[in-house]
Amino acid sequence: MATVGEDLVRRMAAGDGDAFARFYDRYAPMVYPLILRIVRDRSDAADVLQDVFWETWRAAGTYDPARGTPEAWIVTRARTRAIDRVRSMRRRSETFVAPMDDAMAAAPAESGGDAADRASDRSVVTGALGRLPVPQREVLELAYYGGLTQTEIAERIKQPLGTVKTRMRLGLERLREMMKR
Amino acid sequence: MSHETFDDQVAAYALDVLETSERAAFEAHLAGCARCERTLRESREALAAVVLDGPPAVPPPDVKAALMRRLAEETAPPRRRSDTRRLWLRGAVVAAAAMVVGGFLTGMFVAARYEAELGRVARETSRLREDLARQEAALQARVTAYQAVVDLLRDPSTRVIALKGAGPSPTAEGRVVWHETAGGQVLITKLPPAPAGKAYEMWTIAGGTPTAAGVFQVDASGQAIHRVPPGAGPVDVFAVTLEPESGVPAPTGPIVLASAK
Repeated sequence: MATVGEDLVRRMAAGDGDAFARFYDRYAPMVYPLILRIVRDRSDAADVLQDVFWETWRAAGTYDPARGTPEAWIVTRARTRAIDRVRSMRRRSETFVAPMDDAMAAAPAESGGDAADRASDRSVVTGALGRLPVPQREVLELAYYGGLTQTEIAERIKQPLGTVKTRMRLGLERLREMMKR
Repeated sequence: MSHETFDDQVAAYALDVLETSERAAFEAHLAGCARCERTLRESREALAAVVLDGPPAVPPPDVKAALMRRLAEETAPPRRRSDTRRLWLRGAVVAAAAMVVGGFLTGMFVAARYEAELGRVARETSRLREDLARQEAALQARVTAYQAVVDLLRDPSTRVIALKGAGPSPTAEGRVVWHETAGGQVLITKLPPAPAGKAYEMWTIAGGTPTAAGVFQVDASGQAIHRVPPGAGPVDVFAVTLEPESGVPAPTGPIVLASAK
């Protein structure tokens, strides 16, 4: 049986604007904290959020339930667009490296930003990621929220590349297991 | 090669941080590996679950307003009729007169224009189709070559031999993925395109005797991937020389890449 999300996407593909409005209401409050955490700026986050949802409206016809849930579909897309935004800002101005690096280096409890930022940080630590060993969590967070490659992470945390690869693989393995339970 | 490298790569790929240099080869592997495909799918689901588990935050209301506006614009009819009705009426009078006077000529003119336009569209379409077919063939060839490399690397007796640039192209680099009985593939980077009328020729040297292993060209970025047939005997040295385009039975030109003895 199709889930609520799948049903909404199918109706969006058929041009149903009401389904799109409901899809937005259902997922935007989950996706927005993710985007905000990555781009760190409310007005940028709002832009990315709009782009991401407009893309889902346009791409609803290409959604294939066999390849994943609508939840993974929208979250993957939002994360990619948010990282793209940060990378393009980095390219435009080297000064943007600093805020992102600070954001990544700071322990969640000490990070700056406003209440929503802190809430989204805390949520990750108390959620499934918080149940991972700290070294694995650190590597996953640097990759997922910071968009850093394995080489970049190795340089930053001063660990051999192989160690980073192993932590990333094991961390994801554990997350997958937690989800199955 | 064991599957372990791919297990590391699929993790980085799921997080969308796989190094650009590894991406194409990994995607070639992913296309035929049910295990990696499943790991990728489940990893994305797990990451999405982490995100969806967090406390929600209300996004700025103007985002939804903007989206609904775009939606309305997209589904609205292109032009409202009431605004244009008066213009349309006036236009109709003019058009009726014009039709009487110039109907015949207009018909001829429109037909000629449409014919020209149709011809242009048809030419454009066939040009696009040819472009697409060419691109697809090139991509297909590349995927086949990548697949061959991956297949070779699965075999424990496969070796990877480094080639160093020499003579006119000291910065060129190469790797031969080599299986003594099956042959292999050579992957080359930073080799300048051969001059007009020339090509690069691959050699497998066994017991001091070079055997021709095919000619190839590099692409605009200085890269090439080329199939190397098995040598005449156990190969001691791999080398690449610059030769006439059609290839030669024994090397005559400068060595541009060679493996250590």
